[in-house]
Amino acid sequence: MSWSCVQVEERLSDYLDNALTEAERLEFRAHVDSCAHCAPLLAQVSHITESLRGLELEPAPPMLVSRILDQTIAPRKAKRQWFSWIPIIWNPRFATGAVTVLATLLIIFHAAGVKPSQLTAADFNPVNIIHSADRHAHLAFARSVKFVNDLRVVYEIQSRLQPGANPPNQQAPSETPSQQQPKPPRQSQRSFGTDRYSVAASFFATALDRSNP
Amino acid sequence: MEADAQLVQRCLRGDGPAWEELVRRHARRVYSLCYRFTNNSSEAEDLSQEVFLRIYKTLASYRTAYGGFPTWLTSVTRNLLVDHYRRSRRDRMTDALEDVLPVVEEKHSPVRTPDKAAMARELSAQVQSALSRLSPELREAVILRDLQGLEYVEIQQVLSVPEGTVKSRINRGRIELARILQDMGVGPS
Repeated sequence: MSWSCVQVEERLSDYLDNALTEAERLEFRAHVDSCAHCAPLLAQVSHITESLRGLELEPAPPMLVSRILDQTIAPRKAKRQWFSWIPIIWNPRFATGAVTVLATLLIIFHAAGVKPSQLTAADFNPVNIIHSADRHAHLAFARSVKFVNDLRVVYEIQSRLQPGANPPNQQAPSETPSQQQPKPPRQSQRSFGTDRYSVAASFFATALDRSNP
Repeated sequence: MEADAQLVQRCLRGDGPAWEELVRRHARRVYSLCYRFTNNSSEAEDLSQEVFLRIYKTLASYRTAYGGFPTWLTSVTRNLLVDHYRRSRRDRMTDALEDVLPVVEEKHSPVRTPDKAAMARELSAQVQSALSRLSPELREAVILRDLQGLEYVEIQQVLSVPEGTVKSRINRGRIELARILQDMGVGPS
């Protein structure tokens, strides 16, 4: 007696898994070979089963094992491997921080006059670094003292040259109202310049005396 | 490679590296089973962690008489998946309609790449979509048999059902899956 479509469908997996007896196998094949319904069904199920077996397991998320171990054994120290720092570099925060630090260092080096191409091994000696830093600190202090003194001199010159700053009794006694008439501009500038230079010279001398007691 | 049973014994003596080796050895299989069943990578990851947490707590109750460690692990995974399915049944029913929509798009997608890896990924996605339309009983039977490669006896132990039921579910699951995939345009060329 030949098998029915229902019987074939029920034993389809047994056929695919080679779980049929030889007699059952022959009956199965006899029906399938002559049935327009069961033949394509067998072909499709066979194809899908083979495809499923050919599929690889889904890859687990990269942090799954670490999370499981953290939850079971206890949080562990990450293994130090040579490639373990690679993900950190791709972190935008790290990249932004690194660029900022680099830019800051470049600005500091530029301001300090350090040229990376001229650096030698001796420059990294702590003794040399301390000496260099001490020298630069003294130079900077001396420059700032000179700058303050210069400012003071300039300020005093400016305060003397401002109109009304001179006391009235320092004016020339020969000046009369007739001499207060407008003079040619060239002559006026010349007399003004002469005064300015004389005052400046006197205050430079004063400043030098102060700075060299 | 050291046998699972030996690793389990070492774990019971408090050997951390042995537990780490067990986790590394089986994490992918557990995750894959969870992913195929839930069709959601985030849920699959959470469930995988839950599985290993439960295994860790109940490791002392494991006996080789229950079958191999992978069978026991699969059994624990399956039980958690069933619990998870029951908890989220209502959500799953709501999502059922949404699951159908991408299938229609995939069927009419004209993109076909000759790359084998790409074809495997496409087939994997189609299978995943078709699996989500199977009933949980048939789905788990097909996953355990054809994706995880378990023997009938092991599936019987995992599901705790008679051999006849296992065979019947696998057979019905395969036929139903084949029909769904045929409707999606997947079949022998």
